[in-house]
Amino acid sequence: MTIQKDIERNETRYLHRFADFAGKRVLEIGCGEARLTWQYAKETRSTIGIDIDADALRVAMIDRSSDLENKVNFSRAMSEQLPFSKETFDLALLAWSF
Amino acid sequence: MVHALSEIRRILVPEGILIDLRPILSSWPIEVLSAREIRETGRIQDLPLGLADDKAANGSIAQAEQNGWFARQTEEFFPFYYSWDSPSEMEEWIAEEWEDFIQLDEESKRATRSAWALGDADSIVRVKVKMLITNWKKGISGDDE
Repeated sequence: MTIQKDIERNETRYLHRFADFAGKRVLEIGCGEARLTWQYAKETRSTIGIDIDADALRVAMIDRSSDLENKVNFSRAMSEQLPFSKETFDLALLAWSF
Repeated sequence: MVHALSEIRRILVPEGILIDLRPILSSWPIEVLSAREIRETGRIQDLPLGLADDKAANGSIAQAEQNGWFARQTEEFFPFYYSWDSPSEMEEWIAEEWEDFIQLDEESKRATRSAWALGDADSIVRVKVKMLITNWKKGISGDDE
């Protein structure tokens, strides 16, 4: 089954219109396989993607390019209990997670 | 979900930004797209569970705003398209992936199959999902201060 999501790239365009990722420490909640993460991560100072789906996170790790190894990480966590200290991030992205 | 928003507020720096990006159920249109035209062939049927999820999410974010945890800065809707090569692929996907939230009625299936069959060889089928994106700034007031 072939499915294509957002060929028009509307999501990426709106995301960049609404958020300035440059130099920011970003937490993406509900990153899944990181489809959205790869649209902005290069611009950030650092990015952490979290999800409760371990299989999706494995795909995200496999897809991570070598130039992002020191910048982008993934972790299995729930949004109701974020395993991070107070005031760690400049920007949080709640992506398709409600 | 209110607790998740409280957690997000905790890990954000002062004046940190929360971007909320999510689909909103609204009987999304089904379209057949060809080189010649875009034809709407039906509408998705929203199911009670999906509508309840949207209501809960809206309630949680409204509560967070009321608590002073976040202040709404900008908000907009935009279309996000899921596209398939044929109606049968769309039907299969919806039945497998979205069955709890939405469904297709027989009339929409029939109209979509018909329009696709009569279309160009490169016609595709797509669902126009309504997306909401909101930029929230961390508020200076809140329960933990």
